Amino acid sequence: MAEQPEAVLPLPPSGAADGEGPTDVSPGTATPEPPSSAAVSPGTEEPAGDTKKKIDILLKAVGDTPIMKTKKWAVERTRTIQGLIDFIKKFLKLVASEQLFIYVNQSFAPSPDQEVGTLYECFGSDGKLVLHYCKSQAWG
Amino acid sequence: MEEDEFLGEKTFQHYCAEFIKHSQQIGDGWEWRTSKDCSDGYMCKIHFQIKNGTVVSYPGTSTHVQTCLPMEEALELPLDDSEVTEATAATEVIKYEYHVLYSCSYQVPVLYFRASFLDGRPFSLKDIWEGVHECYKTRLQQGPWDTITQQEHPILGQPFFVLHPCKTNEFMTPVLKNSRKINRNVNYITSWLSIVGPVVGLNLPLSYARAASQNE
Repeated sequence: MAEQPEAVLPLPPSGAADGEGPTDVSPGTATPEPPSSAAVSPGTEEPAGDTKKKIDILLKAVGDTPIMKTKKWAVERTRTIQGLIDFIKKFLKLVASEQLFIYVNQSFAPSPDQEVGTLYECFGSDGKLVLHYCKSQAWG
Repeated sequence: MEEDEFLGEKTFQHYCAEFIKHSQQIGDGWEWRTSKDCSDGYMCKIHFQIKNGTVVSYPGTSTHVQTCLPMEEALELPLDDSEVTEATAATEVIKYEYHVLYSCSYQVPVLYFRASFLDGRPFSLKDIWEGVHECYKTRLQQGPWDTITQQEHPILGQPFFVLHPCKTNEFMTPVLKNSRKINRNVNYITSWLSIVGPVVGLNLPLSYARAASQNE
């Protein structure tokens, strides 16, 4: 039942077929998307090119958390931290009550609604964003 | 600091001071308060939020900044004072108050908070639970009383909600151990608050992440 883990983060079908390999983003690219056509023609079904662009994320386990077999993922910029957490939890087959935390800079947990695109722009380097994840009981 | 990840009170105060320094740089509204009777102190922040989720920029208090751009960046919602105080039936302004105190018994920081409407009506525990982020709702539902309870504020003596601290050590330890491995100094308070804050609607701007690792 589980989807074959590829480098592309499973997303609702939106024609996102451009991010096959993790080398999509050229190294050092930290600037936002180039100015796309100012006026998106009405009736265009596909989202503007910039929102489809993916960023590379490298996931690293912290502590006793299971290590993911696939560590490098191409993720859409608008994917939120919460979305990423849900994905990793499913991938690692964690139960819903287990908390998973994601960190940037190995020390700071971005809020769940934070978009990975923003994190990439702030903390990405060498063409990727390194995120650490850790499983834990947080409360109680 | 000992090799176990417990936080001494002096260290707590040091990290709070560093945290507040950055807060002042970006206008995030945290301040240190001491009680008149004793040397205990705590961090405190007040922010106002319109109930439909829009953040209000209110003079003298904090704001949410979801990017790590420098503080000179103008906020997206420049509102007049008058606009803020107009509470129509459709929108209500809620005042959130967050306090970070040190717990001697657990040797960790603890997050106290309360919320009320502008007319003074306090939020109930049920209101608070409803406001918890989707991300954490499952865990909350399994053990609500283990997660958020109502307690007397140790210094103010008023009822506050508290995010239970007994597992703090458990989730902080891997983070701290990991950072130590690579010789990176971590502000305990920044890391801790970035983890627990979102549960109760408190989101730290990303610039804190940068600031913490720069204090080496």
